Amino acid sequence: MTALLTLTHVQKSFGTHHVLQDLSFSIPTGSIFGFVGENGAGKTTTMRLLLGLEKSEHGSILLAGQEVTFGGNRTNSITGYLPDVPAFYDYMTATEYLTLCARLTRIANREQRIAEMLNLVGLKTKKQRIHGFSRGMKQRLGIAQALLNEPQLLICDEPTSALDPLGRNEFLELLATLRGKVTVLFSTHILSDVERICDYVGILHAGRMQKCAPLSDLRNQYGRSRIMLTFPDTPTAKRCMQVLAHFPAYAVKNTVMIDYQGSYTNAAHQVLQTLTASVTPIALQHKCPTLEQIFLEVTGNAHSDNHV
Amino acid sequence: MRILTIMFEKELVETWRTYRFLTLITFFLILALMSPLVAKLTPTIIKLSLNDTLNLQLPQPTAFDSWKQFYKGITQLGILVTAILFAGTMSQELSKNTLVNLVTKGLPRWTIVLSKYFSLLLQWTVALSLSLFVTWGYTAYYFPAKITPTAVLAGFLPLLLFGIFLLALILFGSTLGQNNYGGLLIPLFITVILYLINLVKQLHNYNPLSLIGDNLAILQGTKPLSQLLPGMLVAIAASLFLLGGTVVLLNHRKI
Repeated sequence: MTALLTLTHVQKSFGTHHVLQDLSFSIPTGSIFGFVGENGAGKTTTMRLLLGLEKSEHGSILLAGQEVTFGGNRTNSITGYLPDVPAFYDYMTATEYLTLCARLTRIANREQRIAEMLNLVGLKTKKQRIHGFSRGMKQRLGIAQALLNEPQLLICDEPTSALDPLGRNEFLELLATLRGKVTVLFSTHILSDVERICDYVGILHAGRMQKCAPLSDLRNQYGRSRIMLTFPDTPTAKRCMQVLAHFPAYAVKNTVMIDYQGSYTNAAHQVLQTLTASVTPIALQHKCPTLEQIFLEVTGNAHSDNHV
Repeated sequence: MRILTIMFEKELVETWRTYRFLTLITFFLILALMSPLVAKLTPTIIKLSLNDTLNLQLPQPTAFDSWKQFYKGITQLGILVTAILFAGTMSQELSKNTLVNLVTKGLPRWTIVLSKYFSLLLQWTVALSLSLFVTWGYTAYYFPAKITPTAVLAGFLPLLLFGIFLLALILFGSTLGQNNYGGLLIPLFITVILYLINLVKQLHNYNPLSLIGDNLAILQGTKPLSQLLPGMLVAIAASLFLLGGTVVLLNHRKI
């Protein structure tokens, strides 16, 4: 897959604080790229660099083959941006605001495109001014303005952080519908959101891209698969731990977690065979590795590497 | 030019819907209505307050007294209200992050500065011109002695031109400052410096402040308009410099 966006050896500091250090990664065209990292990792700074709102000290950013420069706006015509809390002119209606954006970006068939966008995000308030909008409505208008110019790259900076669960769900569903049509860079620290819709993940930590790969590859490489056994009480779980002494297992109250590698069927078979004679679980579950585990492992390794 | 026009229209909608223009024009019209009235009533008010005990012979008010009130009102309260209303022109956009969406759509930053400046200039010109015509009409009604239109306009022109400088200064302050106070304090600071420069007599005619200090003298014909030409040129040059500075500032400001 060809890359729509490529960052090479990008560096950025604020005073003596090195926010980004030798940042390099690519985003394949048409993918939904989850950009994760703890607060202050440099996600927003990276996005601002992509939009030409910040000046990098070193390195290059290529978007669809064009160099992104600070203050320049050549690449902005193919980019859509949704900030975490989008700000609008409160005295305008949603239609008026989108008309302003459409006129600035020279969109043909303005009225039709605006109607399409308002319909897509479910905003049907034609006469209501933006100052009367709820946070969720503003977020929807934010999506509409970001998609208005049919961008090749949609940059979303923690778009779900200000939304309630229902709004979050709607937003993620909407984003998922863009797969294949628009390349999406989706920054968040809600890792379950990334797991739900992203096919590529970049883990930013201490100003460096620690891992950047398809989510499935990261799962295979880092995630520890587990079997979770549930017992009727804690003493039974403790007895199970004694029986499974040679397995990499640990107990949490009345559950026992067993890490395994390789095939789930083989691992589950071995565990159950060992248990048969002594204790019987009331439930057995296959726990897939979560992005949270992967994230903690990647950033934990990076942390220890930094201290070596 | 196309984008400048779009942004200029946006500025006009903004000033109308946020009631800034309405407030400005109402205030200027009140000043315009009050000027001839205050000039007309001042002798009566003084007589009433002195209670006839001094048997004071006060001169009859003239049209010049009305214009004196007008220029006093506009150059003091009028300018102050203008500065207060427009102080947040850029700083509010920057603090509310409303420019982010537009800049990331490719809006050149210089168009933001120029569209705002032209919008401020239009508002100032309309508000000031309306107040001039209202004062002119009422002055003619209350004080039949004629003043030629040429004299009225000659006195008015420097004030109008001072607005070019004042608004560029307010916009510069609003971009430089982090909040509305920047738009007020920076012009205030520059005005204090200009008043200090005014202490040097040789520099008086070069000082943009002369454009709001000698209007009555020009109206009365005691000072020719040509003497203020250096001040006008300095004001225009300073405005261009300030506008250029505002564009440079905004180009370097985080949006």
